[in-house]
Amino acid sequence: MTAKVNVVHKEYAVKKHLYLLMIVPALVVYTLFAAYPFISSLSLSFFDWGGVGPKKFIGLQNYQMILHGILSQEFYRAVVHNAIYFIGTWALTIIPGLFFAFLLNSGLKGTNIFKIIFFFPNVLPIIVIGFLFSLLLNPQWGPINAFLRGIGLEALVRPWLGDVKFAFPTIIVISSWKMLGFYILVFLAAMLSVGKDQIEAARLDGASEMHIGWSIVLPHIFPTVVTLTILKFIGAFNVFDIVYAMEGTQAGPAGATDVLGTLFYRLAFGGLGSTAMGMGLGAAVVSLIFVIVFPLSILYVFILDRRMGGIE
Amino acid sequence: MIKFGPVGKTIAYICLIALAFINLFPILMLFISSLKTTKEIFLTPLALPQVWSLKNYTQAWVKSNFITYFRNSAIVSVLSIGCIIMVTSMAAYVIARFKFPGRRALFLYLIAGIALPVKLAIIPIFLLMRDLHIQDTYLSLILVYTAGGVAFSMFLLVNFFKSLPRELEESAKIDGAGAFRIYWSIDLPLLKPALATVTIFNFIDVWNDFFFPLILINKKELRTIPLGIQIFYGEYNIQWNLLFAALNIAVIPILIVFVIMSRQFISGLTEGAVK
Repeated sequence: MTAKVNVVHKEYAVKKHLYLLMIVPALVVYTLFAAYPFISSLSLSFFDWGGVGPKKFIGLQNYQMILHGILSQEFYRAVVHNAIYFIGTWALTIIPGLFFAFLLNSGLKGTNIFKIIFFFPNVLPIIVIGFLFSLLLNPQWGPINAFLRGIGLEALVRPWLGDVKFAFPTIIVISSWKMLGFYILVFLAAMLSVGKDQIEAARLDGASEMHIGWSIVLPHIFPTVVTLTILKFIGAFNVFDIVYAMEGTQAGPAGATDVLGTLFYRLAFGGLGSTAMGMGLGAAVVSLIFVIVFPLSILYVFILDRRMGGIE
Repeated sequence: MIKFGPVGKTIAYICLIALAFINLFPILMLFISSLKTTKEIFLTPLALPQVWSLKNYTQAWVKSNFITYFRNSAIVSVLSIGCIIMVTSMAAYVIARFKFPGRRALFLYLIAGIALPVKLAIIPIFLLMRDLHIQDTYLSLILVYTAGGVAFSMFLLVNFFKSLPRELEESAKIDGAGAFRIYWSIDLPLLKPALATVTIFNFIDVWNDFFFPLILINKKELRTIPLGIQIFYGEYNIQWNLLFAALNIAVIPILIVFVIMSRQFISGLTEGAVK
């Protein structure tokens, strides 16, 4: 018996390297179309290049132009917008997300229906949501303004997407509208993993329901809040589709909704009313987004790795 | 689970119903408006249509190319997800079951993509596709989506492998089965629940993606639904009735699939973040 096993082991040892072939397809496609482009994008940011013809190495000039030169105003405005987008969508998804998860976690009837109703915007394409809301917010006939008039909130009626002050907050609300259900259900799933015994014990000790929620449930789901906050930050600095759908590449009115994504798009690929200024400049903007996001990406991978206890 | 008293329950229901209304109102308006004439939309935006008619749908269908868009989205989604499942399940098997130098580093490298949106690397991707002469093809999209799907799917599958028993593999090994045989006939069937999650998660991503077709696809006949919708929106931007109908055509299939499979969708899409 041992002899046979040994033979098998030897044969296995011959085939030892073969199993590594099974990793190759994933490794190649991931490296070629995800990892390499990242590196390549960084190197491209040191060149002046329109996309065809020879590239001209210009050192840090693209960065100079973005951070201190003619593009700096647009760039910093976009960074501020991305930051506002992060804070705004954070406040409008994490906080109500927790609140509604608490409500759904209380064993009320109809919970399943509410789950479906809350979640469905997540499965719709963001571009469709953008177009839908630009129709619903039409300043002349949009049903949303009509509804506000109908319930006596005439004072709130305004051309939401055409108003310099309100356009960006409107986009923030709409993209939160799309995502809220996801947050509710993620928090709910996390809440369901709180130990029942722990809650029962607290109840026997006479703790109020409020106290249980605050001091047992909330701390339990805190890691989920952290994870979602990190992901939200990364997402917020990459936002593009919703702004593009609702305000176009120019991110109007008067750039009031311009974010790094739309700025990048205009520079690299041009857009209505502006010609592309170069792949190098676009790559520089992307590299700056990368610099902002990267520390959190590392942190996130670190958390994932630790939470799953490594691969051993 | 927190318990509410009668007052708490009432307040909870009021809040839940309010949010349900906020969620349903836009979709309700989308459906109602798609059945109305432009004039009705303009004059009585909140009212029901005077005549219930599907005329807008037939017009939008004729004027656009939705059949083509649906076909393209379906081809790209199915092939991308097929590729993702093939390449990541194999790689996850190796990472989860074999010890070799550099394994941990390789794993961290492969899952790093979870936190780095591929979108950011669009310029070199665009150039790469051009240099490989596959710009403006299904293949360009499939490759990007597969690459973009590797990280999360790897993470999920390697995690899932930990919960699978090794006994069957061990006895197959003793019977002389090679690594690929073991993966193919023992582990792949056991992976089904995790693969369902991988499928749903990537399906929503790929089916709804607008960004990569916007940049990689120029040919009319290769437009996917999100890109097709954008073109239609630009061409008929004051024929609201047609726009509403077109948006509905884009949305209805996925809503139906979602409602039928809501449980799988919800767990599939939320799993990554909970883990």
